[in-house]
Amino acid sequence: MKRLFQSCLITVFTLIFAGKIMAADVATEFDAANKLYAEGKFTDAATAYEKILDSGKISSALYFNYGNAEFKCGHLGRAIAAYRRVLLLSPRDTEARANLEFARSQIQGATPNSSRWQRWLGALTLNEWTLLAAIALWLTFALLVARQIWPARKMTLRSPTRAVIVCTILICASCGAATAIHFSKQTAVVVAASATARSGPFDDAQTIFTARDGNEFTVSEIHGDWLQVTDASGKTGWLERGQVKVLPAI
Amino acid sequence: MNCLELKKNKWKQGVGLLFLMALFAFAANAGAATFATSLDRDTITLGESATLSLTFEGGPPQSMPSLPNIANLTVSDNNDFSQNIKMDMVSGQSSVVLTHTLTLIPQQTGKFVIPSLSAEVNGHLLTSQALTLTVLKPTVTSAAAGNPESQLAFMRLIAPKKKFFIGEVFQLEFDLFVNANVGNADDLAIRFSKVGMGLINVDGFRTLNSVAAPVRQVQIGNTPYIEASIITALSPSKTGTLTVNCTNANATLQLPVANSQRDQFFGFGMFRQFQNRQVSLSAAPLSIESLALITNDVPANFNGTVGNYTMNVTAGPTNIAVGDPVTVRVQISGRGDISALALPDQPEWRDLKVFPPTSHTDISDQLGIEGTKTFEQIVTPQNTDVHELPAFSFSFFNPETKTYQTLTQSPVPLAVHSGGASAVPTIAATKTATENLQTPQDILPIKQNLGALTQTTMPLISSPAFLALQSLPVLAWLAAFVWRKRADNLANNPRLQRQRRVAQIIENGLKDLQRFAAENNSDEFFATLFRLLQEQLGERLDCPSSAITESVVDERLASFAVADSLRELFQLCNQARYAPLRTSGELAAVIPQFENVIRELQNSKT
Repeated sequence: MKRLFQSCLITVFTLIFAGKIMAADVATEFDAANKLYAEGKFTDAATAYEKILDSGKISSALYFNYGNAEFKCGHLGRAIAAYRRVLLLSPRDTEARANLEFARSQIQGATPNSSRWQRWLGALTLNEWTLLAAIALWLTFALLVARQIWPARKMTLRSPTRAVIVCTILICASCGAATAIHFSKQTAVVVAASATARSGPFDDAQTIFTARDGNEFTVSEIHGDWLQVTDASGKTGWLERGQVKVLPAI
Repeated sequence: MNCLELKKNKWKQGVGLLFLMALFAFAANAGAATFATSLDRDTITLGESATLSLTFEGGPPQSMPSLPNIANLTVSDNNDFSQNIKMDMVSGQSSVVLTHTLTLIPQQTGKFVIPSLSAEVNGHLLTSQALTLTVLKPTVTSAAAGNPESQLAFMRLIAPKKKFFIGEVFQLEFDLFVNANVGNADDLAIRFSKVGMGLINVDGFRTLNSVAAPVRQVQIGNTPYIEASIITALSPSKTGTLTVNCTNANATLQLPVANSQRDQFFGFGMFRQFQNRQVSLSAAPLSIESLALITNDVPANFNGTVGNYTMNVTAGPTNIAVGDPVTVRVQISGRGDISALALPDQPEWRDLKVFPPTSHTDISDQLGIEGTKTFEQIVTPQNTDVHELPAFSFSFFNPETKTYQTLTQSPVPLAVHSGGASAVPTIAATKTATENLQTPQDILPIKQNLGALTQTTMPLISSPAFLALQSLPVLAWLAAFVWRKRADNLANNPRLQRQRRVAQIIENGLKDLQRFAAENNSDEFFATLFRLLQEQLGERLDCPSSAITESVVDERLASFAVADSLRELFQLCNQARYAPLRTSGELAAVIPQFENVIRELQNSKT
């Protein structure tokens, strides 16, 4: 038993130490990419940021800087996708929101409007909604358990319990809605200079409209390498997956 | 023109002007007034006429300006006024445009300068630009005069001059003349307007836009002709002698049959009869000499642009961090090959990172040779030593003056600070009214702090471990609920309480019995045994334990299977009072018997 405990302890410390070393490496690469950006080597900076992201380590600052580098390279679609990623990680990041709006102002075409309800749900990340719902759930059941343990205090605990239950229901409903949107609703951002939207998921299908770099669409259906998308004005067409970046709506 | 006709014309002009003034008065949102003159064609041949248009926008003239006498040029005022309301779709503003046309008929070849005219509009004295009308010899017409077929229809190519510089844009006119008496003259002219461009070969030239002029009737000598013209903007793309050729075109002319009886009967020509005649039409080739540009005093940044241009440069923002973009907007306006305009390299911009420019072209004429091309170029300062955007210069060759001209915009001061200390521009999400009025000029700078790193993992809500963890409070509540129910049940059931208490006493008593047996303490052993039997039987028979005696056992437990064993135990207890000495082994042997009896009693129903 003692030997098992020691093994576990060594494993935990090794993992922590390895994590620290990895984080230090990422920070070094991040600083190097920042330096490239400051020197005006935006393409190199974007490549450096992308390399870090490809390693699976992400942070909102990393996506933010990557978006800036892509913006400076003139890749508005990639920049918009990166800023949206930042907002998925940190929905209340005002700088990312400002840059997203600025990047959107540089493109042709309308930006899809999200409903008030969706904006409200987007104020927290899905994980934040989940944790909030979990905390509410635990608090509710803690009060219910307390009522069982101390029946004499049932009357005292009645009002707080009811209030907490109502809040928990609302929070859980919001969490459920956010989860449903996260897993069912996707946004496609065009990252090619121009993308031809066709009437069907085929190369020889009739051209419906041409999307420009940075245009954002709601994905309504996926068929192989083709996405059926709808823009803010309601126009629908099929775009090739390679021409867009697909992101969760919230 | 006699005195009566002059008075009549002036009266007509006066009525026309009054009407137009009324129209101008009703025009809403009128902007600044303008006055311009233009010719429908600036090159014609002798015998043809040109139309001069006087255009007023934004208000009527106090009085219509009159053209001074020009030698060998007859001016005919047709009293032709036209007006329309021009609506700007962007600003929503409207203005009335008045156009008055005059017919110019030259009496000899050469260049006629139409001087600038002045008119008072809305209290402002406006002046138009001077125009030049070039009149060429009617060579083709003369040739046509000697050929009977050519008198019916012929084609010609006209350029304003024979020598052009490479890259210089000029207008080539391709005309078809069909005798007005030919029955299908109008049809041929219209068809020519549509397909005539395909008849000419312009190898060695860059072709810009082509437009078809309206079909009209002209008088050449004594013969009326229907004229169709196609005007094309060309630019020589190589030096040397270049030729514009015209391929032969076959046409069927419908010639009227003379002395037709039917025509004589009706007398209106409505039912005239025609005979078809096939003719082959072609225009004489046109030789153009394309000259190389002058090699003296060529500006350093000259990139081959030929024409006549003006330039306007703006740059912003000017308060920036290192690496932040500055948008330089260059507007080049004028006459030339507008769509081919390119920005020259700026060697002075060595401390700036220069990105490829984007551009859009606004053409103001149908031929695409006049307009504005706007370039937007992003430049980023590479260090804080950059204090200005160096002067921007653009050079071109002006074929009219045969000189190179350089347009230069003065340097733009820049305030460049390091990236880390970048001033934070307005954040769009900030809600104060003052800040909302400010429009961000650029993206916010990069972040220097990496922040908390995370892995790209699935959301918590889809993690089975997390979901399993959430079942804990539910299970805790269920456990508490069951516990509460059992506690409540116990509180309301004294017999159950006694049953549990006795079970506990028995459990503790068994330990005491084993201890007393081991100590060979016979008195305490049997006293405890007797007490435990009383407790268990009292609980079973629901009577006080002190009331349990051997006689009670005989009376109430006679039917029980363990009755004999109970009696035996009671007897052992009684015997121990009189013969207390027993060995540990004997005492220990009683315990299993006792346990067996207790088990039987607990399982029995009373």
